[in-house]
Amino acid sequence: MRKHWGRNMIMMMIASSLMVAGCSSGGTTNESSPEVSKNEVHATGFPIVDQPVNLKMFTRIAPVNGPFKEMPVFQDYEKLSQVKVDFIEAQTDGFQEKKNLLFASNELPDALFRSGISPLEAIRYGSAGQLIPLEGLIDEYAPNLKKLMDQYPEIRSGITTPEGHIYAIPGIVTLSAARTDKKWINQMWLDKLNLEVPETTEELYNVLLAFRDGDPNGNGKQDELPMTARVGLAVVSAMSGSFGLDSQLGYNINIENDKVSVWMGSDQNKEMLMYLNKLYKEKLLDQEIFSHTEAQYLAKQGSGNTGFFFDQTNNNFLSIQDQYTGIAPLEGPQGDRLQSQALPIARDFGAFAITSVNKYPEVTMRWIDYFYSDEGSTLLRFGREGEHYEMKDGIPYYKEDFLKEIANQAKITPYAGGGAPHLISEQVASFINPPQVQEAQQKLDPFMPKVRYAAPMFDEQTAQEVNILRNDIDKYYEEQSTKFIVGAIGFDKWEQFQATLKKMKIEELEKLYQDAYDKMKK
Amino acid sequence: MKSAKTDATITMPRSHPKKNSGLLRQMGKRLDLYLMLLLPVTWYLVFHYAPLYGLQIAFKNFNPAKGILGSSWEGFGHFQRFFDSYYFWRLLWNTLSINLFSLLIAFPIPILLALIINEIRNKTFSKWLQNITYIPHFISVVVIVGILNVFLSPHTGPVNLLIEAFGGTPIRFLEEAGWFKTIFISSNIWQNMGWQSIIYIAALSGVNPHLYEAAKMDGASRLRRIWHISLPGIAPVVIILLILDIGHFMNIGFEKILLMQNNLNLESSDVISTFVYTTGILKGEYSYTAAIGLFNSIINLLLLLLVNRIARKTSETSLW
Repeated sequence: MRKHWGRNMIMMMIASSLMVAGCSSGGTTNESSPEVSKNEVHATGFPIVDQPVNLKMFTRIAPVNGPFKEMPVFQDYEKLSQVKVDFIEAQTDGFQEKKNLLFASNELPDALFRSGISPLEAIRYGSAGQLIPLEGLIDEYAPNLKKLMDQYPEIRSGITTPEGHIYAIPGIVTLSAARTDKKWINQMWLDKLNLEVPETTEELYNVLLAFRDGDPNGNGKQDELPMTARVGLAVVSAMSGSFGLDSQLGYNINIENDKVSVWMGSDQNKEMLMYLNKLYKEKLLDQEIFSHTEAQYLAKQGSGNTGFFFDQTNNNFLSIQDQYTGIAPLEGPQGDRLQSQALPIARDFGAFAITSVNKYPEVTMRWIDYFYSDEGSTLLRFGREGEHYEMKDGIPYYKEDFLKEIANQAKITPYAGGGAPHLISEQVASFINPPQVQEAQQKLDPFMPKVRYAAPMFDEQTAQEVNILRNDIDKYYEEQSTKFIVGAIGFDKWEQFQATLKKMKIEELEKLYQDAYDKMKK
Repeated sequence: MKSAKTDATITMPRSHPKKNSGLLRQMGKRLDLYLMLLLPVTWYLVFHYAPLYGLQIAFKNFNPAKGILGSSWEGFGHFQRFFDSYYFWRLLWNTLSINLFSLLIAFPIPILLALIINEIRNKTFSKWLQNITYIPHFISVVVIVGILNVFLSPHTGPVNLLIEAFGGTPIRFLEEAGWFKTIFISSNIWQNMGWQSIIYIAALSGVNPHLYEAAKMDGASRLRRIWHISLPGIAPVVIILLILDIGHFMNIGFEKILLMQNNLNLESSDVISTFVYTTGILKGEYSYTAAIGLFNSIINLLLLLLVNRIARKTSETSLW
């Protein structure tokens, strides 16, 4: 008996594994050709289907949002479309983890909404067959999206893999003001101290010094915060343009004469880090910049006790908005003056994707496409006309009594908190793009790069290589830059830093991006 | 091992007719005990042995859609990548050193505490001391790290206010790589020494009081009595606990380290288990990090075997 036990066990394992393998492959082929849909799905108009359809979507929910099922956009749209969506909500904290576990365990929802899938993830899960290719569906069932993609060809090229597949749909932002962080400076303090708006990094340094020592808030204490930024290296992307550092291809990359260069080991980067180190050392730059949370940063904006910071719009500091004015990028020591922090039109890559378990991909595609029209986008961002917004000159504005409680706004729309799959155009931007923000954007406009290349789509093999290289390099760059800025390591270690980057094969990474760029140009 | 045991059952006189009936009958007699055993055995099978099956992804390119069995083989590629990685030596050193220092410093302290409590004649005071020291054990790791943040903050933390009051410059304790291990280990000691001392106190109470009486008669001082009676009395417990500690040597404090980590102290806080979490779960590199995790476990196993062997050789007390 005992002798056979081992053999039996192995045979059983083999048998059961074959069964499992058989089931899973059989399962996917069956599900991709459902007997339902087709004739039921209306190619145009509403409802999308005659018989109600249920979809399960995984989504990220930001701290400011309420539950999605209470949002008027989803309630009203359900009635309109006959598609009922059950959201599986995950908090922003830990969202990435939950999303990865979803894919790793292969327990997939029908679709991912506001999912922040990266290009590398899209390729990985797409080629694994967990996400389905969408290009055919877009052609047939997404007229609004298709129109945008025809109008802005860079959208299509930015989301299509070398094999010609689209695995994820981005959030599309035709409003340029929504693709940059404005540079907000405290005009009231400038006036009080009789200072001009700074034009160069050197002038900025002097202004910040004055902010620190001149007691512009007039309370007799030295409690002003001259400059702050989002947590981590956001300050680097906000300031890099002044040192001639661009952010092309969704990475730390400059492109000159069709030559791609990853600038992390460059002298300009050293110069920038030295400048930031100077600000940090003299307490001009927020000392908590590497430890505060997003909420704390927003609170600092709202306090009015900050001199200079970066944000896309001004609705975080609405009550004191008149104190601040947007300024142009500062001119660096080498005469560089670039607004390098700017995102492509397909701003939020991977905002929406459909998985292989979805029985109604056509319905799902039609469902999401609505949000790429002005009408659907208005519903998503503004809720119900009369109740939440009113039209003025053909443009929706939140009603004043609705805005009285500012927290209301983020409760009714999934766009607050960022990354929702929809169209952001002039038409629907009255709230995030009031005149003051437009003015701030105009200051940036002359300094925007002519072309902004989105992160390239690699083929599966290359994506894996890029992933491996970047895992090490990005971690190293982030850690070392942080240390250079706070002065935990001195700039005498710069050569060692460069040597390590080289050892981590930064040149190989550069070449992969160069190849991708060359392919893109063709 | 196993065959030896079955052989033994065979040679047992009364279980002659069928090999298994003896064992079965014995199990029948003690059914209640075996039923109680069922639960832990199931638990081990489900949570500790079944996952071993998934370990093979360390040698594969795991693709969730294809499943564990369907993914293609990679061989030792992931291990190679880890050994060649810039982070390899740093991770290994941090993992080993944090745990080694913890062991060297934090392990003896509960023993000392137990000896002190044992020597205190005033019952009220010794109870009070015991309570004070073991209550921190019940505070969750998240709260502990929060407390550390508050107390060690460079601007508002009491520790730095004190330093400033004495004319020093504030220290950014949590943002300096050099301070990380000190803070991590000392806060661990503060949190756990009372709890860990309980078992030693129990062991001490088992030491025969006549031995102390006799030693007193012979004129042994208090220190002598501790050295020659108390310590040998609890030595087996100490050794067993040491070996058990070695058993999870490479994984101590994962949550706490992760919570205390930031870019500025990463130099000395980046350990294998946190690296596995950040790279594996957050970046989706399952195969690569499974390989790293396996490597971690193998080192741990070797350490455990080594320590157990040394213990058996030198003191006759060991786990097996």
